[in-house]
Amino acid sequence: MTVVPAQQTGGGGGSSGLYDVLELVLDRGLVIDAFVRVSLVGIEILKIDVRVVVASVDTYLRFAEACNRLDLEAGPHRSPGLPDLVGEVTESGSRGKSKGALSGAADTISDAFKQARDEGGRERETESRPRARKSTSSRRKEDDE
Amino acid sequence: MSTYVYGITASAHPALPKDLAGVGDPPRPVRILEAGELTAVVSDAPEGLRPKRKDLLAHQTVLAEAGAAGVVLPMRFGSVAPDDDTVTSVLTDRADHYKERLRALEGKVEYNVKATHQEEAVLHLVMSANPDIRAMTEANRKAGGGSYDDRLRLGEMVVAAVKAREGEDAAVVRSALEPFASDVSLGPESTGWLVNVSFLVDRESADRFLTEVENVRGNNPHIELRVNGPLPPYSFVEPDAAEHAGTAAGPGAAQE
Repeated sequence: MTVVPAQQTGGGGGSSGLYDVLELVLDRGLVIDAFVRVSLVGIEILKIDVRVVVASVDTYLRFAEACNRLDLEAGPHRSPGLPDLVGEVTESGSRGKSKGALSGAADTISDAFKQARDEGGRERETESRPRARKSTSSRRKEDDE
Repeated sequence: MSTYVYGITASAHPALPKDLAGVGDPPRPVRILEAGELTAVVSDAPEGLRPKRKDLLAHQTVLAEAGAAGVVLPMRFGSVAPDDDTVTSVLTDRADHYKERLRALEGKVEYNVKATHQEEAVLHLVMSANPDIRAMTEANRKAGGGSYDDRLRLGEMVVAAVKAREGEDAAVVRSALEPFASDVSLGPESTGWLVNVSFLVDRESADRFLTEVENVRGNNPHIELRVNGPLPPYSFVEPDAAEHAGTAAGPGAAQE
């Protein structure tokens, strides 16, 4: 397995990891009370989004379906085969990481703004997070291709 | 003209690359403000600055460039002072504090690690460890997917088992990497990852940390690790930041 995200090798610069460091840039770092911070209306939504942990009917049904589709014989009976499968998936995942991360961040931010506009102060509708996660990674893969 | 602040360094810090592009469109040139033994990395603040991708990236890039040459205390994105004089007077007033932080973080960088499960792989693990789930899956499959209630019941059990596994794997990742870090800061919980944790690592021994990352990957093919670094020490700028980061609920947390 060769999984070495590009950002590991750089001495400092590099934009590849922006999606993953977004939360650090926005939520950590030094805050000085004599300075003001620019308005982060959209980002507040993003932060709420990041913290929502939902176990919903949708999630249950999706996992039930995933189990239904799972090739049971490829699992415990054939454990030596598992690393092959995972290696393949991980590799494509890492390609997504090194290239697609930026556009992922762009989507996240613009989504956040869109939500802020569309929903105003209303509470954000919860949804199946694992599904959202999945769509993020597939989106990154699409960007890659 | 208000002043956008990227970070604080020692005045002995090596010069930044020329023509470093800051926030704004067009990008405002990055410049240095000196105050005794400290300097602030700043630019003019554009009117109506918003957290757009381009500006977030500029903020991160400026800090990455500054951090590559030596220790920098990174500001959170979007910190704007009314003018240059306010910046230098803050540096002067709190010089001891910032100098102490720069000393404490000298030679150290942050690595942020986010772990997620390979869904199929973890479902295999969950199923092999749990005969009930396996039996129910097979029963549902024979019944053409099962009734709505059957599927709901199976899904609920699977989700509970996967969540338990997430907790175990979060501990696996943390305990494997913690020995290679001088400090640890736990990020917020989310369904986007099973663990989100930042490690403060000696720049010199970063390869040992990264080797251990590869070991964790090799030993746990069902865990996907996303590693970002070396980064400026965002999560470690305040002495107590590590304690607070895990529960930080908003901009009010972990401030001065």
